[in-house]
Amino acid sequence: MLLYTLSRLARALVTVVLIVTLAFIILRMTGDPSIIILGPDAPEQAYEAFRRNWGLDQPLIVQYFKYFGAIAEGDLGRSMRDGRPALDVVMDRVPMTLALTLPALVFNLILGLGAGVFAALNRNTWIDRAIMTVSVVGFTVPSFVMGLVLAMVFAVQLKWLPSGGSGSWAHAILPVISMGMIGAAVIARFTRSAMLEVLGQPYIRTASAKGLSWGAVVLRHALPNAAIPVLTIIGFMVGSLVAGAVVIESIFSWPGLGRLLVGAVANRDLAVVQTILILIGFTMVFANLMVDLAYGWVDPRLRIRTLSTAK
Amino acid sequence: MTLLKTLTKAPGAAIFIAALSLPLPALADDRPEITVAVQDIVTSGALDVMRERSNVGARVFFSIFESLIDFERQELDLPQKPMLATEWRQVDDLTVELTLREGVVFHNGDTLDADDVVFTFSPERFGMLPEQMAAQEDGKQLFTSNVSGVQGKVPPPEVAAIYKRSWPLLERVEKVDDMTVRFVTTQPDPTLIGRISRYGSEIYSQQGYAAAESWLAHAQKPIGTGPYKVVRFEDDTILELEAHDEYWGGTPPIKKLTFLVVPEVASRVNGLLSGEYDFITDVPPDQIDLIEREAGFHVVGGPITNHRLMVFDKNNGAMQDPLVRRAITHAIPREAIVDALWGGRTRVPAGLQWEYYGDMFIDGWEVPEYNPELAKDLLAEAGYDGEPIQMRVLNNYYTNQVSTAQISAESLRQIGLNIDFQMKENWQQITDPSDGKRAIRDWSNSAPFPDPVASIVNQHCQNGGQQQTGEWTNEEFNENCLILERSMDQDARKAAFARMLEIIEREDPGYTVLHQNAIFYGKRQDIEWEWSGLQSMDFRTENFRIKGMQ
Repeated sequence: MLLYTLSRLARALVTVVLIVTLAFIILRMTGDPSIIILGPDAPEQAYEAFRRNWGLDQPLIVQYFKYFGAIAEGDLGRSMRDGRPALDVVMDRVPMTLALTLPALVFNLILGLGAGVFAALNRNTWIDRAIMTVSVVGFTVPSFVMGLVLAMVFAVQLKWLPSGGSGSWAHAILPVISMGMIGAAVIARFTRSAMLEVLGQPYIRTASAKGLSWGAVVLRHALPNAAIPVLTIIGFMVGSLVAGAVVIESIFSWPGLGRLLVGAVANRDLAVVQTILILIGFTMVFANLMVDLAYGWVDPRLRIRTLSTAK
Repeated sequence: MTLLKTLTKAPGAAIFIAALSLPLPALADDRPEITVAVQDIVTSGALDVMRERSNVGARVFFSIFESLIDFERQELDLPQKPMLATEWRQVDDLTVELTLREGVVFHNGDTLDADDVVFTFSPERFGMLPEQMAAQEDGKQLFTSNVSGVQGKVPPPEVAAIYKRSWPLLERVEKVDDMTVRFVTTQPDPTLIGRISRYGSEIYSQQGYAAAESWLAHAQKPIGTGPYKVVRFEDDTILELEAHDEYWGGTPPIKKLTFLVVPEVASRVNGLLSGEYDFITDVPPDQIDLIEREAGFHVVGGPITNHRLMVFDKNNGAMQDPLVRRAITHAIPREAIVDALWGGRTRVPAGLQWEYYGDMFIDGWEVPEYNPELAKDLLAEAGYDGEPIQMRVLNNYYTNQVSTAQISAESLRQIGLNIDFQMKENWQQITDPSDGKRAIRDWSNSAPFPDPVASIVNQHCQNGGQQQTGEWTNEEFNENCLILERSMDQDARKAAFARMLEIIEREDPGYTVLHQNAIFYGKRQDIEWEWSGLQSMDFRTENFRIKGMQ
């Protein structure tokens, strides 16, 4: 198990290095930060001074190795816009993003799992079709459309909730619902499919035949076996906790990591972009690791298979 | 305890204590709190007029800073007016003397005097002292450096570069007495008064700057003389200002003024209509009717001191022939663009000039007429063989930019040009000459003070952006640049300007003007407020009132 975990961690590290390397190359090939940050009207001397000051006048390969050298010393660089350490800039925004994404995840799980199980248990009835119709709408409508429609209805027309900003808990309601609706729709569809597959298995019939109540069959036998594909999706969502609100944060003027990322990419604020990517990479990889471990916990057969492979 | 007992037994103590326990008369402050939803506050992350060069920065800076000379910003011809200087006179060809206004208090409580003005234009402020430049050099280590401007009072190096271009002939600013200063130039500068009034010449507090921990700390909470002072600034989120009650121009009418970043147009409109924002900026023309349909809201705004241009690179392929460039200038349906995309809310100007140039405005000058047949004839005369011509466009950096470019590109195709339309992500890609195919690109030019030097010289002469990027040059044009910039003979200057327009807009086109830019604001209808062609938002007493409030 230790070997397995270590190998996953090594792969995770390689993934993060690849992400940062790709971002490093692409960001530098698609725009000179000096022109983007200073604007098109600044004099040439200003651009030269900026490039010199930030080391952008050095060969790309030199910049690359210096950057990784600095990371090895724990220095992720500074923002080109205000000179603050990039890590501070990024970490300042993480709580704001989590304030949206964590409640949205809970919303996803409760609504999505409930709706998916309920639809599967009422297969081919009007309840099933209604739930699936709503879920199709949920995951096909883009999040920015969903956000704007909710704002139009609840902020502009009904004036029940604020249309944007972050001044109070009420400001978080519409963004959380916007994200939650979409995530819940995805989970509901996966849960339904997984449940239907499991409910057709012989061991479910056996459990029913030996006299267990239908509720007990579903809870003890169907749900755990249907959890594997759903866990994969949930893992994805947990991995997206940090980066998953880019569009919604823009629509609702929520000052989180997504807004910071959009601005930093547009401004080629290199250190900030790369710090965010490292954070996203780590979160994604960590979430995947947790899901892998959870597979073994949910399905002991996988644990045994993994152990035998590790030997 | 003993002392307290003694005091309470003293004659009159009971009355004194009772008086303390009474509520104090309320200091009435029923001034409103106003929220302005903007696309962006600044683009550079700093509230520093020499670092921030964008249009959006100009919008907020007028609430915080003031210049010695300003403009009647809500009047169309933008006449100059005294601001922190009450009067000025030309002492000789090299010297202008200004008398400072008495009783001007900075946000930190200091009173404005000549030392502040001298400091504002000092090498120290622009990071040009030897030790500051050495500190900038020390900060070369990539991403691990103590970035200049963060440690110590060392501004970013671009501040000095921008200063040198804004003030090419300024030798020094000297103190005559506590309330009198002189601007001295190395050569006669006919635009000196204009430069003193331009964006970037706002006066800083010497003490306020000295007290800040770093250049950056000051740039995030600067000390100016404007009617509002900075309370909180997070560059991509919020700028919170509060009334500066010692403001020399009268008590500001707003208690708290917040500029909130709301990047999406639809979200800004929703926020206005739901009552969360009192103003929204950068309303595209196609949203105006939507806002005006709602009771209690309307849209104000119009043309500003900024023209949209199509800029040419004369070095590459077919663009080397002036006939091809001339053909392009006759193929753009400018009026159709203004009518279709702007609903007629802006206009086609008289070339790269504005009426507020006053005597320097060239009457009778116009943009090239829209004449596709003439354009086809010019192409035939040039022997154009269908070689692709690159047209580089940013994704709506300017309002209606992509639509304007699409209409222009189709019009150019109609006369037979093979337009290679390329969407670009940023300015570096727009101006990149490395593929040798740069031909047509988008741009805009502003005039920050009322003289042609502010625009045509700054953007198209030897030190201007177009010649610096190597797109275009012309010997005769450049000779006239020097006359326009340095001659004190207004007639000679005007003749030089007229000739420059002929060269760069007709004979050897370096650009062609598309239309005047316009900005629109959505706002509560019960607020009386006028917009400015200088892109600033003015929330002083004389320009802000809520109907029904005292």
